[in-house]
Amino acid sequence: MSIPSAQYEDYADALEMIDDEDMRFEYIIDIGKKVKDQDFPEDWRTDDHLMHGCMSRVWIIDEVKDGKHYFRGFSDAIIVKGLVAMMTGSFSGLTGDELQKIGTDHVRRLNLGALTTQRQVGMMAMLETFKKLGSAGGGTVAGLRSANA
Amino acid sequence: MNKVVSIDAAPGSNSLAAFDVERVRRDFPILKQKVYGKSLVFLDSGASAQKPQVVIDAVRECYETYYSNVHRGAHFLSQRCTDAYEAVRADIAGFINAPSENNVVITSSVTESINLVAQTWGRKFLKAGDEVIVSEMEHHANIVPWQLLETEIGITIKVAPIDENGEFLLDSFKQLLSPKTKLVAITEVSNVLGTIVPVKEVIRLAHAAGALVLIDGAQGIVHHGVDVQDLDCDFYGFTGHKLYGPSGVGVLYGKAEVLSAMPPYQGGGDMIEKVSFSGTTFKEPPHRFEAGTPPIAQVIGLGAAIRYVSGLGMDNIAAHEQGLLAYANSRIEDLGGVRIVGQAHDKAAIISFLLDGAHPFDVAAVLDRQGVATRVGHHCAEPLMDRLGVVGTVRASFGLYNTSDDVDRLIAALGKAKDLLL
Ligand SMILES: Cc1ncc(COP(=O)(O)O)c(C=O)c1O
Repeated sequence: MSIPSAQYEDYADALEMIDDEDMRFEYIIDIGKKVKDQDFPEDWRTDDHLMHGCMSRVWIIDEVKDGKHYFRGFSDAIIVKGLVAMMTGSFSGLTGDELQKIGTDHVRRLNLGALTTQRQVGMMAMLETFKKLGSAGGGTVAGLRSANA
Repeated sequence: MNKVVSIDAAPGSNSLAAFDVERVRRDFPILKQKVYGKSLVFLDSGASAQKPQVVIDAVRECYETYYSNVHRGAHFLSQRCTDAYEAVRADIAGFINAPSENNVVITSSVTESINLVAQTWGRKFLKAGDEVIVSEMEHHANIVPWQLLETEIGITIKVAPIDENGEFLLDSFKQLLSPKTKLVAITEVSNVLGTIVPVKEVIRLAHAAGALVLIDGAQGIVHHGVDVQDLDCDFYGFTGHKLYGPSGVGVLYGKAEVLSAMPPYQGGGDMIEKVSFSGTTFKEPPHRFEAGTPPIAQVIGLGAAIRYVSGLGMDNIAAHEQGLLAYANSRIEDLGGVRIVGQAHDKAAIISFLLDGAHPFDVAAVLDRQGVATRVGHHCAEPLMDRLGVVGTVRASFGLYNTSDDVDRLIAALGKAKDLLL
């Protein structure tokens, strides 16, 4: 399926255009640096919103509006922050059903070679978290839900 | 031990005549490769060291020409393989100056060596209320086996503290000793901070209090020579893969009288004298503790590694690494913005650090992309991380093949990390 997210296309196109792995790596760092502390207030960084199984801490929250999921995330490491921003930006604005249709290939377009296997696994885990939140919510409740819901 | 040797020659060269690091590097095929198009700088020997060609060849030769099970077959190959295998036991004994090869138990790792002591000596000789002292700097491998006994038997674990610099506090340790202390289980060198623990003094004090001492030598034996008789330790464990040997093999040295008093560890083939359903009798140490087919080729490889480092000379290796440590410390200091975690007076060539304002995972990732391999995280020493109030560190650990050039590359990569991350 195509993902109705301009952000996803922007990220994927940008990464495809950069043909040097080091530059791609730096691109992800730059995205991470743009995420500011105030974008994800301290009181959201609770254990409830923590994603399990990550090397560095990752918090994800899911806001549901009109049946669509809007994810936001944060990490204490910049590179992970960049990946989280790319993932939440790319896969927000989808319904629960649409989220279930996102495949690993969609995610793969976002990490073209610049990442270690461990980080690629981390991104797939993030996708699983989005799907879980998507299926648990079904778009009926507005508000924040935890990544471990 | 030879402490401070400065490398004042130009980067990349080596001023120590006795130790030609460029020649040494040629012995390690893996170091020639490029990662991400950059030549590899391997600063993760503390996790596992690379292998010289002689080790690779010894393992291959074993499989190609005389591999067979040991202590069993009545045929040519088995005899030859057993001879080669047992010769390594003697080499190990010589390397650590054990009185005899019978003091040398072959295990799969230092983790197993420590568990073996906990499960045999510990279960037989420890009872509820007895105390085992460890330090704040232990690897989980020297914490969890004792915690298992804490749960099962009701022993108490006492923790000998360090100060902010990672210095082992001998006086505080002394105060923990009491008639209840039955064992001191302590690392010789901290895998995180590089702190060299004054183990000889620890052993003397522990013995005076009536306790036995187990030394976790995983990080010690690779950086300097070890003499177990001079130390007078009761147990000494180390692991082959950090000593430039294969993974899957470790060693437990034990004093003869201590080993003889210990019941078997695992039951199986090779450790028995006679098996019958009316009663089984066990071999004497060390074979009593070696059930089943041992890691044969790995032991052969470890023998080659021990001959290799002995050939270079542990004192030369120590001097070379101390030179690198001093050089790295001064370059890091000049760079600024990097906090070295662990500033003990006596250190092995292990540097844990944090880049101010950056997460250690980000720093290690940037270093990696520059071809500089380090380790990041809690280094299997979570209690130590808590003690130091950090989530983790980046660790550069140096081995005998590292050069001042490697240090320069580390510094350049750290400069890049500052540019990118701060
Ligand atoms: C001090 C120390 N003890 C024990 C170990 C465990 O070694 P192994 O995993 O080979 O048993 C290590 C390895 O990281 C270590 O550094």
